Amino acid sequence: MQTKRTIFPNKLLPYLLLTPQLAVTLIFFIWPAAQAVKSSFEREDPFGFRTTFIWFENYTRLFSEATYLNSVGKTALFAISVTLLSMSLSLLLAVAVNRVLRTNRLYTTLLVWPYAVAPVVVGILWWFMFNPSIGIAPYLMRGLGIDWNHRIDGTDAMLLVIMAASWKQISYNFLFFVAGLQSVPQSLTEAAAIDGAGPFKRFWTIVFPLLSPTTFFLLIVNINYAMFDTFGIIDATTSGGPAQATNILVYKVYADGFLGLNIGSSAAQSVVLMLIVIALTAVQFRFVERRVQY
Amino acid sequence: MATINLVDLKKNYGPVPAVKGINLSVADGELIVLVGPSGCGKSTLLRMVAGLESVTSGRIEIGGRDVVRAEPAERDIAMVFQNYALYPHMSVRQNLEYGLKNRGTPREEIDRRVREAADILEIGPMLDRKPRQLSGGQRQRVAMGRAIVREPAAFLFDEPLSNLDAKLRVQMRVEIRKLQRRLKTTSLYVTHDQLEAMTLADRLVVMNGGLVEQIGTPVEVYDRPATLFVAGFIGSPPMNLISVEGLASAGQSLPLPRGTDIVGIRPDELTLDAPAGAHVALPGTVELLEPIGGESHLHVMLGNGQTVILSVPGRPDIAEGAAVTVHAEHAQMHPFSKETGRRTDAVANP
Repeated sequence: MQTKRTIFPNKLLPYLLLTPQLAVTLIFFIWPAAQAVKSSFEREDPFGFRTTFIWFENYTRLFSEATYLNSVGKTALFAISVTLLSMSLSLLLAVAVNRVLRTNRLYTTLLVWPYAVAPVVVGILWWFMFNPSIGIAPYLMRGLGIDWNHRIDGTDAMLLVIMAASWKQISYNFLFFVAGLQSVPQSLTEAAAIDGAGPFKRFWTIVFPLLSPTTFFLLIVNINYAMFDTFGIIDATTSGGPAQATNILVYKVYADGFLGLNIGSSAAQSVVLMLIVIALTAVQFRFVERRVQY
Repeated sequence: MATINLVDLKKNYGPVPAVKGINLSVADGELIVLVGPSGCGKSTLLRMVAGLESVTSGRIEIGGRDVVRAEPAERDIAMVFQNYALYPHMSVRQNLEYGLKNRGTPREEIDRRVREAADILEIGPMLDRKPRQLSGGQRQRVAMGRAIVREPAAFLFDEPLSNLDAKLRVQMRVEIRKLQRRLKTTSLYVTHDQLEAMTLADRLVVMNGGLVEQIGTPVEVYDRPATLFVAGFIGSPPMNLISVEGLASAGQSLPLPRGTDIVGIRPDELTLDAPAGAHVALPGTVELLEPIGGESHLHVMLGNGQTVILSVPGRPDIAEGAAVTVHAEHAQMHPFSKETGRRTDAVANP
């Protein structure tokens, strides 16, 4: 590969130019991460006077704690549901828009809007709609004989955060799927039509396999999103409740550390999350860079 | 094995007509080449037969059955696309099998047909490779193979050789011709390359502006072009079209049918030496001499400022700028009317 290379006459200048970026990275990423790793090996007394180095006790305690294991389960359920729901809905929408010839720009524009809404605002939006006292959705559902109350019912709460989080992510997935669909040559589906495959079969045997690079990329991005970017939505709708029902890992870090003031455990949890992020990133680089081969 | 009948077939894109009423009968086992400049509607016509474009009006009959409303899959045709349209995620074998599997062909039958097609096209060793591991010519063969295994009523070819380099194109052209002779499958073949058209076709359909200009065997079309367009399109270098006034101004007169104001003469029918039969003689100056191997093309500017091209054997010893006299036999002249664009010495066929 050819790269453009600039030769600096002064040895100091390149480092000087790198300084701002390095400073930001060090101060806001590396240093806090190091602090978290350090705190995860320590126990602080309730008043913050004394810290004791306790090796892995925070971690061992974490994995024997029922609430933490519950949170791992809830996170898995939440992440898988959000990923599947938002990806399948956006694929459906992308296929539909791809079939419409004349107005597809309009639909695309409209479908992208939710992506511009901040997570907390999304949370509040859905909180309003599903609010058991004033919301429109529970009112309508009562008419159908369904009793909705996400403040009391853990399942309702989980459904609410899954819906809100999926809704916001549909736009993003939709854009990628539309682009992916447009890169599948028309002549392939035509050839398949002549080869006797109906629309459904054409999609699953020709189009979907050719979309696999896009699908795989989105899979990783969506898991990442559901696990780490949904803090705002959880905070604005359920705050992890009721009774830990929607307390996903990233929210628990905050709740235990800043509300429960158990800094050691919170730090250990964030280190665990850090490892998950590292693993996901590694997978992404390993496979997405190489592309799913076909 | 089937005939194809197109009856007054029309296609409009919104208000724009692309195909303006085509009538064509293709006999069983015949290879018909649709040829014309880009935008003449030949590809649209083919795609209508395939069922990939809707029909505005008219009928398409394949094997005597009206298929205008039938899905592409129900028409019993196979198509070879310009870009091959091989499924990139499937191996060559899976590409060949796909159409058969969709139709529920039994396993042994599929295996037999794939083996046969692979033998015919010599792609046996490549069956387990992916299309991207193949060269252009090999992909072309696989695309043909995918059509063959289906054993369809008709093959449709949409400029199948235009993505190949010149040498391979000639080779594949010969193979397509041999293959079609061997399988005797009715075929429609679209191309803009007139050499391909001339060499492949049982009959040519020359199209222009959404209409058929002439239908005939390559020799018929070459020897008696029905219209000015065909005269200019078929043949390389193209036929010289000289206005009758130009001839008259050179002091030449000849018996011509009524209404003739343009005569066409093939470059190889023009000579520098006077021929034996009745002829015209036109003085001019040599503008350019192009030696192209076995023959040379001589561009001569006539007295009226028009340039004609002569195709002469060997490498004549003539300098550019030299004064020459160009001769043309009366018998070799094609009379046309500028107004109708048609031949004036016969009832033109379509």
